[in-house]
Amino acid sequence: MKHTVDLTVNGEACSETVEARTLLVHLLRDQLGLTGTHVGCVVGECGACSVLVDGKLVKSCLMLAVQADGRDVTTIEGLSGGAALHPVQEAFVQRFALQCGFCTPGFVMAAHALLCANPDPTEAEIRQVLSSNLCMCTGYVQIVEAVKEAAARLRSCT
Amino acid sequence: MHIGRSLRSKEAPRHVSGRGRFVDDLVLPRMLHACILRSPYAHARILGVQGQAAAALPGVKGVLTPDEVRELSKPFKPGRYASGLRVPIPEYSGAVGKVRYVGEPVAMVAADTRARAEDAIGAIDVDYEVLPASSTIAAASEPTAASIYEELGSNVAWEGHVSYGDVDGAFKRAHSIVRERLTIHRYSSTPLEPFACVVHRTPELLTIWCNSQSPDVIYEAITEALGIDAVRVIVPDVGGGFGQKIHLIRKYAVMTALMAVKTGRPVKWIEDRSEHMMAGGHSCEQEFNVEAAVARDGEVLGIKIQDTDDVGGSISTLTIHFTNKLNNLFNTYKVQHLRLEGRSVLTNKCPVVPNRGIGKPGMCFVWERIMDRIAQELSLDPIAVRRRNLIEVSDFPYTTPNGNIYGSGDYHALLDKVLKNVDYGDVRRRQAESRQKGVVGPLIGIGVVIGVEPGGRNAARDMAIFPQSKQMPGAGGVEGATIKLEKNGSVVFTLGSPSCGQSHETTACQIIADVLGAGPERIALASTFDSARSPWGVSASNSGNNFHLYDVGAVHGAATRLREKVIVLAAHLLQADKSAVQIENGVVSAGDRSMSFAELGKIAYGNQAMLPKGFEGGLEATYYHSHPHADPLMLPDMQGRVRAQYTFSSAAHAAVVEVDRETGRVRVVRYVIVSDNGTLINPSVVDGQIYGSAAHGISVALGEGFVYGQDGQLQTLTLLDYGKSTTLETPHIEIEHFPVPDPFTTLGQKAAGEGAAIPSPAAIASAVEDALRPFGVTVRDLPLTPERVWRMMHGSERVRA
Ligand code: FES
Ligand code: FES
Repeated sequence: MKHTVDLTVNGEACSETVEARTLLVHLLRDQLGLTGTHVGCVVGECGACSVLVDGKLVKSCLMLAVQADGRDVTTIEGLSGGAALHPVQEAFVQRFALQCGFCTPGFVMAAHALLCANPDPTEAEIRQVLSSNLCMCTGYVQIVEAVKEAAARLRSCT
Repeated sequence: MHIGRSLRSKEAPRHVSGRGRFVDDLVLPRMLHACILRSPYAHARILGVQGQAAAALPGVKGVLTPDEVRELSKPFKPGRYASGLRVPIPEYSGAVGKVRYVGEPVAMVAADTRARAEDAIGAIDVDYEVLPASSTIAAASEPTAASIYEELGSNVAWEGHVSYGDVDGAFKRAHSIVRERLTIHRYSSTPLEPFACVVHRTPELLTIWCNSQSPDVIYEAITEALGIDAVRVIVPDVGGGFGQKIHLIRKYAVMTALMAVKTGRPVKWIEDRSEHMMAGGHSCEQEFNVEAAVARDGEVLGIKIQDTDDVGGSISTLTIHFTNKLNNLFNTYKVQHLRLEGRSVLTNKCPVVPNRGIGKPGMCFVWERIMDRIAQELSLDPIAVRRRNLIEVSDFPYTTPNGNIYGSGDYHALLDKVLKNVDYGDVRRRQAESRQKGVVGPLIGIGVVIGVEPGGRNAARDMAIFPQSKQMPGAGGVEGATIKLEKNGSVVFTLGSPSCGQSHETTACQIIADVLGAGPERIALASTFDSARSPWGVSASNSGNNFHLYDVGAVHGAATRLREKVIVLAAHLLQADKSAVQIENGVVSAGDRSMSFAELGKIAYGNQAMLPKGFEGGLEATYYHSHPHADPLMLPDMQGRVRAQYTFSSAAHAAVVEVDRETGRVRVVRYVIVSDNGTLINPSVVDGQIYGSAAHGISVALGEGFVYGQDGQLQTLTLLDYGKSTTLETPHIEIEHFPVPDPFTTLGQKAAGEGAAIPSPAAIASAVEDALRPFGVTVRDLPLTPERVWRMMHGSERVRA
């Protein structure tokens, strides 16, 4: 059976027909063409599919598309809100916080959510929160540095 | 100068914005989605496969059964990874006749959606005759064990050896013989993006988009299996490789291609995580018996190593883990007499593949563990034993007994610096204090090891062991790059090999900026690998630590060529002598006259009247690089000596650990590296390679790995069960660079890729053993899971994790 979901994605209203079993990540990628959200495991372990739903960090492989009905979704493509790069994205670039880039959209979204909740985290807090995501390339050192850098940038502009 | 500084990443802006382009992002008109039915058994005969019911389901457009695989394609010939194979055994892309490991691909379905393809998989009926499975080297080696390949009889599929120097003589002279038995388990680098292929077949051409590290493997596999020679391989962004995407991926490329041929429509196949865990390839489980002949002062006079490799349920990588040990056979040591015996044993487990350093972490583990054992048995300091055996600065360039030439290095300095940076004396002091206090608090341990990181593949290496092999890919290496100055003054370039996230675009851009005199913001990669456009040779692989040698050489060569051309044109237009022309930041000048690259470009492509006589229009150059110092020993000599690889980075690692007495959990408190990667082109990029490879080696040593039941069922199908380290388990890693330029490479550069994955398992083992000193136990087996460490403290350490 097909269902219609009405949701806002990156500020744009959309109405999509999905199967009951369709995952949010597949709606985003396959139906809306927002391929920046990646699939690394599809069982909630890697965080590559992380997006914001009503401002809250969600692994979009763990949410059915129908559950996103009426919600406001932000994906990596919408993070900078039209600006060149969001400060978290800029910090990831500056600090070489990525290699293959497959985990990166998920880490950027997770880091953004972390800094919204805690603008001045310690290294231990950063490591605690980002343990939701996996990176196979970087050994995390430069990711942690990027998040510190992003925190400093964000604090200085508020 | 841009070489030597951390130029802003060229690749990062698109990845942080979600604009990376991976295979799964590609959509073609009328594209079908494929899904694979895999074996639930570790060992079984396939009696029949019925696909009709699946084919009749809604949306299903094709089912590929083993019979069709056999009909429509030819098997792969045993390649260089299986040089030691006694009888040529055909291997098809999918299982034919038998399955030999859980997850082996049996059939494929293509449907209009992925979900429908997955539904249809359940409707395929397979009749299996289940056979006894062997899930360990010991079980598979039993004379009564079921043959995994009947053609071979025994599951001990290959035995051989290499020998250098006078090993028996060394053992006769020895003051004592130090013996050890060591094991390394199965693991993988688990790239976050699993395998992915899209195939589009037209009557003229078969195009495959595939996240392969080695496009030549895909090219040859499709040509060989389908008998098509018009093949185009495109490799877009790749979500991590580490060796996983070199070899087994060809099976899936061929199956997807067969499905595209069969259905007449484009087909996409994306592997899922659990498929990758069970069938995407594992590093090899290895057992070593080591005997070292040593003098009273710790000098190693000779060494004998028996290496048994559990190669899993395929003959296709039968001997690659053995042959790869030629690359770092002697690590950093001056030892002259060595014998390495190898055995490859088939088991009913996932086939083995290269993985970040393949074979080399094992060799380094052997050397560094035996150094600690020698120190213990002779009551010497473990660092002093290493120093006693190191190759000295004055020995460089140094030729190892098996023919490797180490260009440069200073191993004593690496040790000096790592001891200082880790505050070795202080750690020892704190350790002594805490041991005096007795049974409270965590157990402190420190391990210091050293290792080389070979780089730049010589395609003829394996001929040193298998001179009779007819399947060698060639010798030495060849790899190209093309650079073009566009008519708008910007510069675009094409590399001969794909990237899997090692910042090749950024690094190449720095070289072009310096050699050509262009501003780095005006330089960009034209496209990722495309066999129809990339200047590729035998070295066109994101493996073998090849980039620094071949691609860097090719980019430098092409930029030099293009610079010469620019100078000829500029001298003519500026009416100056060639020697008077300067190039800086995209502007050519001579005296007080100057022109921009854009002005030059317009003339070069558009105004023949202004070109010098005989000048070839356009501003483009291609250069194919081979290592100019590939000889001597590019081809093996009669003693089996060969340059296995061409450059040798080196590093000393120090790990400080705390072991929890209650739980056996090991916490890495400090991890310090001093690394010689030759001339650094982009220090932050090199740091990234070191951080990532160290983190992986540490995670491997402390518990990540594959676990099988006795029935050959894989028990670690998810990343969580497998034990991949997160930000919490991964320590902060400290790096100091100590670059000693290589005398033979273009810029003095050496490799940085596999790097820290090679010594780190040994460093952790050494540190944990040191922490457990009060218990008098020896670390022989990886991984050091809390359970194993706890058992070691409680006197039952030989229990497997
Ligand atoms: S794909 Fe969603 S957590 Fe891995
Ligand atoms: S950068 Fe490759 S997985 Fe994180």
